[in-house]
Amino acid sequence: MPIILGTLLALASVAVIVYPFLGSKRYRLISESFVIREKLRAERLRIYRKIIDLDADYASGDLTDDDYQQQRNVLRISAAEILREESGSISPDTGRDEQLEKEISRLRDQTAQTLEGGDTL
Amino acid sequence: MADLGVTALLLGLALSMYSVVGSIVGEKKGIAELIVSARRAMYMTLLSAVVASAALINAFVQNDFSIKYVADHSNTLMDRAYVWVAFYAGNEGSLLYILLVLTIISAIAIWFAPRRLARSMPWTIAILAVIQLFYFGVLSFAASPFELLDTVPADGRGINPLLTHPGMFSHPPLLMGGLISITIPFAFASGALIAGNYGDDWIDVARVSAIISWGVLGTGMLLGAWWAYTILGWGGYWAWDPIENVALMPWLVLTAFIHSIMVQKRRGMFRMWNVALLNIAFVLAQLGMFINRGGPVVSVHSFAASTLGIIFMLFMILSLVFAFGLFLWRMPRLKSDRAMESFLSRESAFLVNNFLFLAVMAITLWGVLFPLFSDLARDVSVSVGAPYFDRANGPVLLGIVVMMGVGPLLPWRKASARSLKQWFVWPVLAGVVTVGVLLAVGVQRPIAIIAFGVVAFVATAISEEWWRGTAARHRSGDNWALAWWRLVNGNRPRHGGYVVHLSILMLGLGIIGTNFYQQRTDGAIELGESLVIDNYRIEYVDSGDSSRADRIAQWAEITVYRIDKDDYAVEIDAARAEGASGFTLADSTARLNDKYLGQIEPWHGFYPDFNMASVRSGIRSTVVEDIYVIPRDFLADGRISLAVSINPLAWWLWASGPFFIIGTMIALWPQASIERRRSREPVQLEPLAELEPESNGGKA
Repeated sequence: MPIILGTLLALASVAVIVYPFLGSKRYRLISESFVIREKLRAERLRIYRKIIDLDADYASGDLTDDDYQQQRNVLRISAAEILREESGSISPDTGRDEQLEKEISRLRDQTAQTLEGGDTL
Repeated sequence: MADLGVTALLLGLALSMYSVVGSIVGEKKGIAELIVSARRAMYMTLLSAVVASAALINAFVQNDFSIKYVADHSNTLMDRAYVWVAFYAGNEGSLLYILLVLTIISAIAIWFAPRRLARSMPWTIAILAVIQLFYFGVLSFAASPFELLDTVPADGRGINPLLTHPGMFSHPPLLMGGLISITIPFAFASGALIAGNYGDDWIDVARVSAIISWGVLGTGMLLGAWWAYTILGWGGYWAWDPIENVALMPWLVLTAFIHSIMVQKRRGMFRMWNVALLNIAFVLAQLGMFINRGGPVVSVHSFAASTLGIIFMLFMILSLVFAFGLFLWRMPRLKSDRAMESFLSRESAFLVNNFLFLAVMAITLWGVLFPLFSDLARDVSVSVGAPYFDRANGPVLLGIVVMMGVGPLLPWRKASARSLKQWFVWPVLAGVVTVGVLLAVGVQRPIAIIAFGVVAFVATAISEEWWRGTAARHRSGDNWALAWWRLVNGNRPRHGGYVVHLSILMLGLGIIGTNFYQQRTDGAIELGESLVIDNYRIEYVDSGDSSRADRIAQWAEITVYRIDKDDYAVEIDAARAEGASGFTLADSTARLNDKYLGQIEPWHGFYPDFNMASVRSGIRSTVVEDIYVIPRDFLADGRISLAVSINPLAWWLWASGPFFIIGTMIALWPQASIERRRSREPVQLEPLAELEPESNGGKA
């Protein structure tokens, strides 16, 4: 029995590692542009998260009005720049601002109303 | 089954090797199929480790004493429930357990790795595979748990009696698992650095995996303390033993990391620092493995006489060279985006707290390694005892607790004089009032009083944070409960962290109480006699024999009474005159105000095969204090030799555990949501391209 099990394990291992070369599916390396888009998207999500946290800090009285506005503007500008890079188009700033606020608001609602919270202290 | 185990280990070794080579060559040459194949080989190493572990467990279940490891760590008398403990009770089995954990967490980490890390994943996988390769190699050639005996014994030696305790089902596996799991954040950070990914892409994965390691290690250490308190029979829960210390040190560094990583996430600072912290934690974990596997430092629970020390030392040195070589290579690219704006800011508080954690780590490391240096330099063996660690680490630990209160009260970037005054008033007042009250009621020990004041300061700071946030939401229309829930839910890492801080305060209460206010007395009493200590009288009412084939064991029945000291004024005065903290009463007739509290049954056993004694302390625990009875020995003349102590606030040590776990879970919970949100993202992404089928057509 141990011999059979050991042989099966060895055969299964060989099959698994050989399959990508012999199987019917083909693979290709990720493109540089895809990596960049993924990173931009992740960075944008991080900035949204920071804005939500900032809003929470402000609501809790952790920040002065000036500090809050200044920090929020910096983050919004960063998010807008990333959004512009992601879309690859030159759209009017006002449209991006609306989109940003809409997404921040949506994520904040998710945080407050569902069991999903933030990931940043 | 031994053959199956050996085959599985050798196969795992080959697969790990293939995964290392395949990942690196596939990445360098741009061969996607090879990268996919190498990644899948990592899943098969998991299967190999599972099969090897199952083979060993099966050998224990079948009492297969032809396998040396099984014969050394079990016998036919062993309760089958302890098979799991016997699995990692010895050097070889524990290495297999560590490998099993490593392969499981590696497979999980690879499976769930975010797509943005695709470029660095081959490097991450190669690092994980190298570490797996090391363990498969050691288990295959240097410490095989499947070594066969020439002559099969009729029965095994049995399991180490100290391990037959409920705490052993979880304490060692958690510690070993916690140490090895530090590999995951290290591999992700290092993989990103090798691939030239200098941004923050790796920090979410590293943060989650580091918190898991940290929570597992912390829980393991707490369970170990509980085990020591109830079974080791020396009356304490933490002895600064080298093995305890090698678990504590990476935990301290990880604690620093999970604080400073928040600064990187929030402010884009401390990149270099965070990588350095992960490197230190990883190397310290390797140091732990080295010391535990027959390293030069003696410990009560290292695997003595192991010849593996040199192998693990070499691996530790290689880890150190690799981690910091890579760090130095990439350091110029790791500079932060921005500088600290003010010393009075939250990021600054995190930095101070980081330095304090590293200070405790360095002090502890010096205490662990000093005997080795002394031996090498002067050929004199010395041991570093608890007083060194207590005196050197005590003030720094108190400083850490202070920073636990200060940090959350400071805003990011910079604090204004107004905000400082606004948020520090109540916590400082609480601390001062606590100190004043304790002094007024005549509590002794100035350092302990200050420590209680610090605990009050931090507890009030956390309460104020919750109150402030809840009140702000309440003003927006939520009821109080909903407002608090939304506050916590809105930023779980932060508020989970506060729950963990509360658990640390509880732990602090226990440490202060037991270290500064413990009372002890010893004595040998006959049946019917009593020992009196502080407000308690314990009466020896019965005893019995519970010996079995592998042990000589006895239990005692002891009744605990609370006494009115006025009833015993004469005896107490006499004892005080002799400088004793307790006294023996031959006449156990209950006095007027004696109040029956309950019964405890301490137990004492001796295992001839191991030449080892084991005890179960009798403990009556309340929120205020424990009455703690250690049966030193059952004497030939019928008396029982007891060590009795009053351990104030000891209950809080163990109560902190659930809060620690709950807080960690809260802090961890939301991390997964970012990935789950992906499908709801407004920006349309191309389908995953990397390492996925390009088409379903035939292979070109």
